[in-house]
Amino acid sequence: MSAADPTADTRLHGIRALIARHKRWDYIFSVIGLVAMMIGIVTLLALFIDLVLDGYGKLNYDFFTSFPSRRAAGAGILSAWVGTVLVMLVTALAGVPLGVAAAIYLEEYAPRNWMTDLIEINVTNLAGVPSIVYGLLALGLFVYQLDLGQSILAAGLTLALLILPVVIVATREAIRAVPGAIREAAYAVGATKWQTVAHHVLPYSTAGILTGVIIGMARAIGETAPIITIGALTFIAFLPPSPVTTEPPFISFDWLFAPFTVLPIQMFSWLSRPQAAFLENAAATGVVIIVMTLAMNAVAIVIRYRFRKRIKW
Amino acid sequence: MKRKTRTAAQPAAPAYNGDMRSPDEKTPVPAAAPQAAIAAPIKAQAQKLHFYYGGTVHALKDINLDLAEKQVTALIGPSGCGKSTFLRCFNRMHDLYPGNRYEGEIRMHPDNVNILARQVDPIEVRMRISMVFQKPNPFPKSIYENVAYGLRVRGVRSRGLMDDKVEEALRGAALWDEVKDRLPDLAFNLSGGQQQRLCIARALATDPEILLFDEPTSALDPIATASIEELITELKLKVTILIVTHNMQQAARVSDYTAFMHLGELVEFGDTNTIFTNPSNRRTEDYITGRYG
Amino acid sequence: MEPLYTHISQQYNVELEDIRSKVLQMGGLVEQQIEQALNSLVHGDTSLGEAVIMDDTKVNKLEVMIDEECSQVIARRQPAASDLRLIVAVIKTITDLERIGDEAEKIARMAVRLAGEERPKTNYAEIQGLGNQVRQMVHDALDAFARLDIQAALNTAREDYKIDQKYEGVMRQMITFMMEDPRTISRVLNMIWAARALERIGDHARNICEYIIYLVKGKDVRHTSLEQIEKEILGRERR
Repeated sequence: MSAADPTADTRLHGIRALIARHKRWDYIFSVIGLVAMMIGIVTLLALFIDLVLDGYGKLNYDFFTSFPSRRAAGAGILSAWVGTVLVMLVTALAGVPLGVAAAIYLEEYAPRNWMTDLIEINVTNLAGVPSIVYGLLALGLFVYQLDLGQSILAAGLTLALLILPVVIVATREAIRAVPGAIREAAYAVGATKWQTVAHHVLPYSTAGILTGVIIGMARAIGETAPIITIGALTFIAFLPPSPVTTEPPFISFDWLFAPFTVLPIQMFSWLSRPQAAFLENAAATGVVIIVMTLAMNAVAIVIRYRFRKRIKW
Repeated sequence: MKRKTRTAAQPAAPAYNGDMRSPDEKTPVPAAAPQAAIAAPIKAQAQKLHFYYGGTVHALKDINLDLAEKQVTALIGPSGCGKSTFLRCFNRMHDLYPGNRYEGEIRMHPDNVNILARQVDPIEVRMRISMVFQKPNPFPKSIYENVAYGLRVRGVRSRGLMDDKVEEALRGAALWDEVKDRLPDLAFNLSGGQQQRLCIARALATDPEILLFDEPTSALDPIATASIEELITELKLKVTILIVTHNMQQAARVSDYTAFMHLGELVEFGDTNTIFTNPSNRRTEDYITGRYG
Repeated sequence: MEPLYTHISQQYNVELEDIRSKVLQMGGLVEQQIEQALNSLVHGDTSLGEAVIMDDTKVNKLEVMIDEECSQVIARRQPAASDLRLIVAVIKTITDLERIGDEAEKIARMAVRLAGEERPKTNYAEIQGLGNQVRQMVHDALDAFARLDIQAALNTAREDYKIDQKYEGVMRQMITFMMEDPRTISRVLNMIWAARALERIGDHARNICEYIIYLVKGKDVRHTSLEQIEKEILGRERR
């Protein structure tokens, strides 16, 4: 019946032509998007593969257990990776509680006025400050003013400052994602502000907070400039003192004040050598840094996924 | 002669206030909002209550309303009429947000405490008056923990007492038989209607004196709605109930008293049968018959 | 009566207006039945009487139809307040209208039966007088319903007394007839039935007036004396 009706037929054709015309843009954009994505991915992948090919020969057990050396073949990254791990430990222990507490205060406790607004804007801006500026600040404050020296503690605190804005912003976002209805539910049964935060807001936003923390740490792990600024050594052939000792009180904090080096600095110092063999070492160190960063991001993804499964708003 | 007729007619006057043909614009409304005689003892009294959002928006204007003990009082009115605002005064929810201001008082009986007074801690008020929200909002915890939370906040430590209270509250919310075998399960795995009944159980666990419902069925299907309404009529044996609803038929079904609010004023308050068959005020009439424009 | 049809839902207005106009249509039909039944009786016109009997099915059909529409409005609109009272009043009113129709049919049957017999010397003047008064009362009641005029409804309800008195008078006269001439007994008995039917119609009309008062005022005034109703409603009205 309808096929015989000419007006209905033209109408249908009109609609189909319109859809075809509109869909062309879908196609055009998908091509542009694909190209844009490939430029980014392929370049990075090429860099990484190049790095792996260069440093592949060095990535063995000895490389991780040897101190740096004048002979390229025997040189390793033992002091560098130990230094990195210890600095990160200090960074996490200092940066995370500070950042989370500040974020909770800003989000739940701070009165809503221009002062708070000003602080909020500045915290966000701090995340964009070049890292070398942090290094300069740390040199003045930690190294000289507080007399911490060119130590693991000073480096850890510097990086903690660096990741603080990231942690604060991520934590606030995570806290804000907890629906107001849940807060009201807690208040409605008679909970205080602290009970509401401790029993509900924090537990439900753990995933977001941890993700933020790990992303901040992943950024800190590759930072070179502020560490150099506070005067990390480029050549260290010894480990910091062990935190566990044989005589009472069995725990020592001497390692906090030991001189140190970290992976990016080690890499940097090898890169500045003329010999080709050291370039190979540098490439291997680069691979180690990248793998560590990727591993941390992977952990962040796993944590997020785990929590998302449990909490759906 | 004329005078005599007038006085004689006085006692019967309120009942005939709503002559359909002569709108009662001649009666000044808000200040003289008619106070219907409440048969039951009074649990709470709002007196000359005003409320301001952010210090500027005058959201409630001179509300005078009595809540009958162990009865259901329904608040109806168009969106933005202040009914939810009024409900949330009863557990000082407005204190959570800066700049809000109350004037006047809500007195609770028999102790005659003005729960809006500055020196009364809002937490004290919330421990006496529970609330069930519009959307089911269980905590992302186990079913058991959801119900037990109010008790934990009150410092209950004994596991046995807690178990008893949780069971009692779940039974009170007509949910026990459905969840007794899966108390450690996440509350989010329950259906919408079950979640809302869980929220009712959470509110009940702490033996409140007044239970507030803020459009409790607006997110639920008709069957779940019916079961919540049935629950409300059962609950009034134990507790005084104040319910805000958009659904006029729901107010007609569950409540003993109905208050119609409009533009922040209490326009008419009376027993539900009267409000729905023969309201006194023209605005009430227009709203409940679908003439509100 | 503008506020009746000012709902947000235009369809609702249409439905209520339709119900109301059907009630008035039914009322008109019933009024015509009374008139024709009386004429049939007075003039001994059997065809008019047959017409009245035929019309009763129309009245019955209208009653069923209005009932159906009312229950649909209840099911689909959940009427409240004045709308609810309108529906309740309509459902009751049409029951009374249908009964009035039945009484008119009774009179018509009587008229058909009496047409073949000898006509009385008064030519049914007593019945005619009572009948005209009753017809006027039904007319006034329907008019008050159409205009939702409680003053008119009250005045009409008051007429019921006069009709009752008149009925008493007619009855006494009939008894006198029977005592005077026992041969007329069977005919006079039929006339008594007709008078009785008219008196019943007056009661139904009074009921309709009471429903109008309920509809407008929300006050159930059944089983209340007229003085009482007047005191409560008109006292307020005068204020």
